Amino acid sequence: MTAPLVSLRGVSKRYGATLAVRPLDLDIGGGEFVVLLGPSGSGKTTLLSIVGGFTEPSTGDVAIDGADVTRLPPGRRPTATVFQDYALFPHMNVAGNVGFGLAMHGVRGAERRRRVADALALVGLADFGKRGVHQLSGGQQQRVALARAIAVEPKVLLLDEPLGALDLALRRQMQDELTHIQKRLGTTFVHVTHDQEEAMSIADTIVVLNHGRIEDMGPARRVYLRPASLFTATFMGDSNLLEGRVERAAGGTRVATALGPLALAAEAETGAPLTVALRPEQLALAPPVGNALALGPARVIETTFQGTHLRLRAAAGTNGATTLLLRLPASAEVHPGDEIAVYADPADAVLLPATGE
Amino acid sequence: MRRLGTYAASAYLIAAYVFIFLPVLVLVLFSFQDGLLPVPPFKGPSLRWYAEVFANRRLMDALGNSVVVALVSSLIATVLGFLAAYGLARRRGRFAGLVQYALVAPLTVSYLIIGLGLLVTFNLFGMPKSLLAVGIGHVVINLPLTFAILYSQLGDHQARVERAARDLGAGDLATVALITVPMMWTGLLAAFCLTATFSWDEFIIAFLLSRFEVTLPVSIWGMLRSGLDPALNAAGTLVFAISFVLVIGVELGLMRAARKRR
Repeated sequence: MTAPLVSLRGVSKRYGATLAVRPLDLDIGGGEFVVLLGPSGSGKTTLLSIVGGFTEPSTGDVAIDGADVTRLPPGRRPTATVFQDYALFPHMNVAGNVGFGLAMHGVRGAERRRRVADALALVGLADFGKRGVHQLSGGQQQRVALARAIAVEPKVLLLDEPLGALDLALRRQMQDELTHIQKRLGTTFVHVTHDQEEAMSIADTIVVLNHGRIEDMGPARRVYLRPASLFTATFMGDSNLLEGRVERAAGGTRVATALGPLALAAEAETGAPLTVALRPEQLALAPPVGNALALGPARVIETTFQGTHLRLRAAAGTNGATTLLLRLPASAEVHPGDEIAVYADPADAVLLPATGE
Repeated sequence: MRRLGTYAASAYLIAAYVFIFLPVLVLVLFSFQDGLLPVPPFKGPSLRWYAEVFANRRLMDALGNSVVVALVSSLIATVLGFLAAYGLARRRGRFAGLVQYALVAPLTVSYLIIGLGLLVTFNLFGMPKSLLAVGIGHVVINLPLTFAILYSQLGDHQARVERAARDLGAGDLATVALITVPMMWTGLLAAFCLTATFSWDEFIIAFLLSRFEVTLPVSIWGMLRSGLDPALNAAGTLVFAISFVLVIGVELGLMRAARKRR
């Protein structure tokens, strides 16, 4: 693997008695679109702020492109930030905003005008240079903030929940545009969000943060389908979690759960307490071809039609003590009170340590 | 019943405005008196007293002095107030709260006490009574005001915009000159106009700290000692008119600043 573009070593941040970021290492490769994902208070914004130079880490070092930047102010780092509230300069027009960083870097005259025009064209605001920023809609202001940061040609572009203030349709559209722009520029993007759908749709790599530590890190597909921790399994969409204990490890794992013994393909140690995680859409009413995992009979408690699918809750196990969440095709004819049999593919089941901590 | 209430409220409002503005209106009206005394009956409009005021060397010198003192002392108070406000808003040191209190505290001290204190202090350092002393006195009374006005404008939004400028490579000086000052020029204008108004018609400190060169209010006070004269009304009207223009400037500045923040 080539040397990472951004490299954090032993970085932590303490505010009084609280550790916002626990000591962690993080490498980000050049040209990657990385999303820092976590609930509020997970330390994701602090981490971004440490890379940008707005927050000094309590411990550890930050290197960008091989150079130690830990003590450098934001303006002298090869980074640029798109802020959550955009922080546009209200007394300048659009071109003035986008050209500000270039002016500060000594780029003058025709060269500056050309690069401002390029940046504005890239975000789809080619003819907006002369407009005042107050005349723009929220989405347009967001694009100006993006163009302003892109114009200085940073090695790393930092985005601090930039889509949080936009309505849903506009947010989805901007997600698409962000990925297009990132692919065209080839610049490394580090993007902070608490929206896991947003993270999955734009990220090459998702870094899941919780309580100031990295819970999981990898491609969206892997993080969603094979979460590395209980927290990731529940934060990245819904999961059915079945607590159990490994009965037999040799020749295929068998886990005793509230729904009976489950024969799984994964490796585990005999006697270990663990949790079996299955996504709602991985449960079905008919056994899959090949190996099937029978989760037994269940009674439908509630169904919710959601357009693309039918979401339902069902009570399974002894006395119906275990609630299962299923996501069936929209055409499924199931109603509350129905008795159903629930199956899964043993290959889909993820074995996780019993407790998250 | 409801209509009666509306009438009563209107009558009360008119009475309040008459109470506030009648003395000023009388002063202005009798500055146009075509007679020797500024008392009723009003004998028809005349500009002779204005001609007399403008021909009066002492008054005109005093007017010039007042303009210089008001402009220079307000400019200094606004610049110092801005620097203090910016420094305290952006770098919260350990004693920031104490410094802030100490800066605003002079607002609670009467002008007479401040004037006497300055008189004693200037004596101690062998500095004679002069326009310069008056100007310094006006900076002393106006600095807390400019500080308080400008500090209130340096909010979180302003701080985040400055952070964005720094991120794009702007240094301290460039950030203040290109972002902070242009963003709050309306507030700076308001602070300047307000303090200029206060300096313009301030009497006690100017009276205590000046001797040969005096400001307009001190000069008018000198005229008062020789009895009532419509020329005094004319001079007073001039003072009022200029204050009025400055206050309009303050209103416009603060209104624009408030609209921008919304």
